[in-house]
Amino acid sequence: MSPFTTAAFEAALARAVDAEHVAVKGGVFPAFHVAPASAAEICEVVVACREHRVPLHPAGVGGRPSYAPDDRPRVVLATRRLAQVVQLDETSLLVEAQAGLGGLELERILARRGLSVGDYPPVVLSSTLGGILAVRTPGKSSARHGFFEDAVVAVSAVLANGRLVHTRLAPRRATGPDLARALCGSEGIIGIITSAVLRVHRKPEARFLGAYLLPSIDAAVSAVLLALREEVMPSGLRIYDSEEAGAHFEGLVLPEGQALLVAGTAGPTDLAACDRDLLGSAVVAEGGGETDLGLAELWWRRLHAGEPTPAPAPALQVMARPSRLRAVYAAVKAAAAIAGAAARAHISRFDVDGAVVFFTFCRDGHVLLAADAGALVASCAAAADTAGGWLLGARATKLDSYLLALKRAVDPDGIMNPGVLG
Amino acid sequence: MFAPVDPDKLRLALEAIFGSRRVSLRLLDRQTYARDMWPRLLLARRQGEAPAHVPNAVVWPEHVREVAAVVKLARELRVPVIPYGGGSGVCGGVIPLFGGITIDLKRMRELRSVSGEDLICDVDAGMNGERFERELAHRGYTFGHFPSSIYCSTVGGWLATRAAGQLSTKYGKVEDRAAGLTVVTGKGEIIETDGPNRALRGPNWTQLLVGSEGTLGIITSARLRVAPAPQLRVYRGFELPDVATGIIALRRVLQRGLRPAVLRLYDELDTFLASMGHKSDKESDEDTARYAGASAATGDFASAPLPPVDGGALPSWPVPEPSERGGWMSRLVTLARDEGARKRLMKSASRAAQNAALSRGSMANRLFGAAATTAHRGCRLIVGLEGSRIRTEVEAQLTFAELEAAGAKDRGEEPGLAWLAHRYAVSYRMSPIFRDGAFVDTMEVASSWDRLLDLYHAVRGALAPHAVVMAHLSHAYADGCSIYFTFAASVEGARNAERVYDAIWKDGMEAATRVGGTISHHHGVGLLKAPYMAAEHREAMAIFRGAKAALDPDGILNPGKMGLVASRKEAP
Ligand SMILES: Cc1cc2nc3c(=O)[nH]c(=O)nc-3n(C[C@H](O)[C@H](O)[C@H](O)COP(=O)(O)OP(=O)(O)OC[C@H]3O[C@@H](n4cnc5c(N)ncnc54)[C@H](O)[C@@H]3O)c2cc1C
Ligand SMILES: Cc1cc2nc3c(=O)[nH]c(=O)nc-3n(C[C@H](O)[C@H](O)[C@H](O)COP(=O)(O)OP(=O)(O)OC[C@H]3O[C@@H](n4cnc5c(N)ncnc54)[C@H](O)[C@@H]3O)c2cc1C
Repeated sequence: MSPFTTAAFEAALARAVDAEHVAVKGGVFPAFHVAPASAAEICEVVVACREHRVPLHPAGVGGRPSYAPDDRPRVVLATRRLAQVVQLDETSLLVEAQAGLGGLELERILARRGLSVGDYPPVVLSSTLGGILAVRTPGKSSARHGFFEDAVVAVSAVLANGRLVHTRLAPRRATGPDLARALCGSEGIIGIITSAVLRVHRKPEARFLGAYLLPSIDAAVSAVLLALREEVMPSGLRIYDSEEAGAHFEGLVLPEGQALLVAGTAGPTDLAACDRDLLGSAVVAEGGGETDLGLAELWWRRLHAGEPTPAPAPALQVMARPSRLRAVYAAVKAAAAIAGAAARAHISRFDVDGAVVFFTFCRDGHVLLAADAGALVASCAAAADTAGGWLLGARATKLDSYLLALKRAVDPDGIMNPGVLG
Repeated sequence: MFAPVDPDKLRLALEAIFGSRRVSLRLLDRQTYARDMWPRLLLARRQGEAPAHVPNAVVWPEHVREVAAVVKLARELRVPVIPYGGGSGVCGGVIPLFGGITIDLKRMRELRSVSGEDLICDVDAGMNGERFERELAHRGYTFGHFPSSIYCSTVGGWLATRAAGQLSTKYGKVEDRAAGLTVVTGKGEIIETDGPNRALRGPNWTQLLVGSEGTLGIITSARLRVAPAPQLRVYRGFELPDVATGIIALRRVLQRGLRPAVLRLYDELDTFLASMGHKSDKESDEDTARYAGASAATGDFASAPLPPVDGGALPSWPVPEPSERGGWMSRLVTLARDEGARKRLMKSASRAAQNAALSRGSMANRLFGAAATTAHRGCRLIVGLEGSRIRTEVEAQLTFAELEAAGAKDRGEEPGLAWLAHRYAVSYRMSPIFRDGAFVDTMEVASSWDRLLDLYHAVRGALAPHAVVMAHLSHAYADGCSIYFTFAASVEGARNAERVYDAIWKDGMEAATRVGGTISHHHGVGLLKAPYMAAEHREAMAIFRGAKAALDPDGILNPGKMGLVASRKEAP
């Protein structure tokens, strides 16, 4: 180990990455911003960091070095120059893309070939691929294509030993644990993701939309679950309670307690139509019926065609299993009422694990921003937890000792994103 | 590395946890638990040899706390622990290489709960596969996992090996259906990996533990995704001119977003041998002889008992009929015994592989060259769909239309129903073949679609010099498919047979890796494929070793398997 000096370390980085892509910021404890252009350069940076025992923090567009303590020298490694599609295999419908490529940019490239990563709301693709895979919590999911991480077939990453590893490509395998899963979700503490191979889909032959009114939130949830049991695979689903529907659709007034359900189906024409019809009959079975299709069209344009979404962002996001959705909704409503506020919500992002309930709080007719409603949100979050929900982005701390032991085994000097996750 | 075992001390310590009735140090029990269904072990056994490695003791826990206690004890005593499910594994995964305590999980066997709205059940790891599926069926659900070994394997064994069932194209492999696990780690701690991974930060531990074959932890129960029991089943047979056309047809179905439960494409030899099952014994014997270019060469293979008549996984399913004498497997061995036939097959295989490199389309027609003296039969494809009534009907129509557009000829319902009726029968016919001095084994590899035909030719070409090889493609995905090779050879003497057997695996595994396939799609690694793990994962093995160090710091869990070096305190 060489004794640390700013100049020596900067020179080491400049050998790894062109000098013009190294910037030193801050004085006593400088942050070295590097922007390597290849996985090989990342290996060099890691070797330099290890040699000088300098922690290394990867950053996508969020540039989230917020975890990086500023009481010691550190490297912030931007992935923005690794932004290529490496390979597109149209026979197997697989794309290999570098970690610094934005999800939306990837979608644009794929769209030219009639392909897409899947029916995910574009908003969740606004990060870099590396960031999306390193932090999985934003709940990128759809009933048709599942959880975003399920699209990952293989990952390449640089480990703390400076070696580039590739988990191997196969549709499925039975050769031990899925090693790619150690790199996804571990927020850069096990390795720096340099590229990933993702499954992609052909643009569907047909898309259909539907809008339905149901007598209650419970009935709407039941209708959706009934349809999913019939193996319907919608490309998008959303349930609004009456207050949320009023807030999201100008001029729409639903009797209190009722619910609006909007849905999209996609696939081969006959199957997409079949799914739409099955959903429609599930709605009827729960005492509901069709309503103005324009509502579904507006919802879809907001999701996929850039039409502005009503602000502000929901203050509380709770993931729940299907059987807990109604209880979570009711519990948060009740907790908000006790605190003298009103909660309204929509439920979306259904997949096999359940769905996400997005709550917005109002008091005296005014929407409360999350920042101004800390105590209210906290008590509602506690109520959601008791009702069996999970706060989006919560930590499963009970396995921390094993995660840290794994980290110690592959990163004995603790240079990879230290301080993140436990 | 591991401490020597004092049997009396060990017995006392184990009895303190399990009482006297659920601990055994009897030699007979220890020998019984020394092996699984790895065919290589049968080679030595048929010579009457005793197993080379036996455990020091066998225990039968009934509660996760007892599993934790015995792992803690093993840690203290510095002896290995080996989890044991049904013992149906085919890779030697349960062999106690360094002795130790074998934990049979089969007394942990309850289906604890089924949540209909969540479509999730909670089941003990030791539950027998068929009982599990039957109990779900009583409640109106299915797990959708039907390995040929469903009668003799456990839920925990499936999860430990990333197993695949016959209907995996619709329901997925077991790892696709695992929502959470309860696991005892090498530290003797009980952990749970549940929780939707998109809500909780941190890596997906379920997927890091599934497939670890007892090297990272002992699975004691699992939350698994179930589906409503199907309302409708549609089965059909199709025929394709050759494997290459068949591969394209499968791909088109999957990439259109259709999910039949079964899509099984048999190569020419597999099609040929299987199709003879529908003829009289005399006719098929004659066919075999003709195919082999020999006069008359069938041995008499009395088959192992079939599962009981009420033993179908679901009561409503057609039951295997004990109709065929010997079945296709005996016919395959007949070919293997005939040196001339095997050489001709081998020549045509390597020629076909060469041709494939030059012109992909035309090669398969020449697949058997001189050996195919019978009429050309093409490749059979079995298609099955099941699920909710309306959707399945629509999906079936789309699937059949897509297959026909891809050049498949509809052969009607009969071949599909015949497959459904006989699908468990074949796998139970192994032992008579071994008794007769031959061996049969299977090799299941997989790759993305772009290299699948290369994989088929590479592995087939690698096995052909040693054995008669046939194959079918049976687990398809939008991005690729698996290939299931069956090979048979007849070699005198256990040592010689082992030598040939090892050469087959070495050449097959290396060929699969060379063209970018995986060395195992669903049978797992165990001891058999351990030597090829370094080539399979290369530098990424560092992550596996890291997980091993984290979950089993003393290296006591199933040591010596999966290409992990057996040593205490492993450094990656
Ligand atoms: C805990 C958490 C919860 C979040 N929840 C939500 C949410 O609920 N909804 C929502 O819309 N957004 C959420 N975000 C914000 C954002 O959507 C995600 O963080 C996104 O995935 C970040 O992508 P990015 O490209 O901006 O990466 P950054 O913000 O720069 O990085 C995010 C984290 O990933 C690491 N990282 C980045 N690139 C790599 C790489 N190539 N290899 C390894 N590690 C890397 C970083 O070091 C950092 O720890 C959340 C972010 C965090 C950290
Ligand atoms: C006739 C026949 C047909 C077969 N057909 C198929 C098939 O269609 N599909 C398929 O995938 N496989 C098949 N197999 C292979 C075998 O059945 C599977 O590998 C099965 O999953 C093994 O389950 P088991 O309970 O018998 O496990 P075992 O053989 O007892 O154990 C297998 C491995 O897992 C470990 N293990 C077992 N239980 C646990 C546990 N609870 N926790 C941690 N580790 C554990 C063991 O230590 C061992 O390493 C077949 C085998 C035979 C003999």
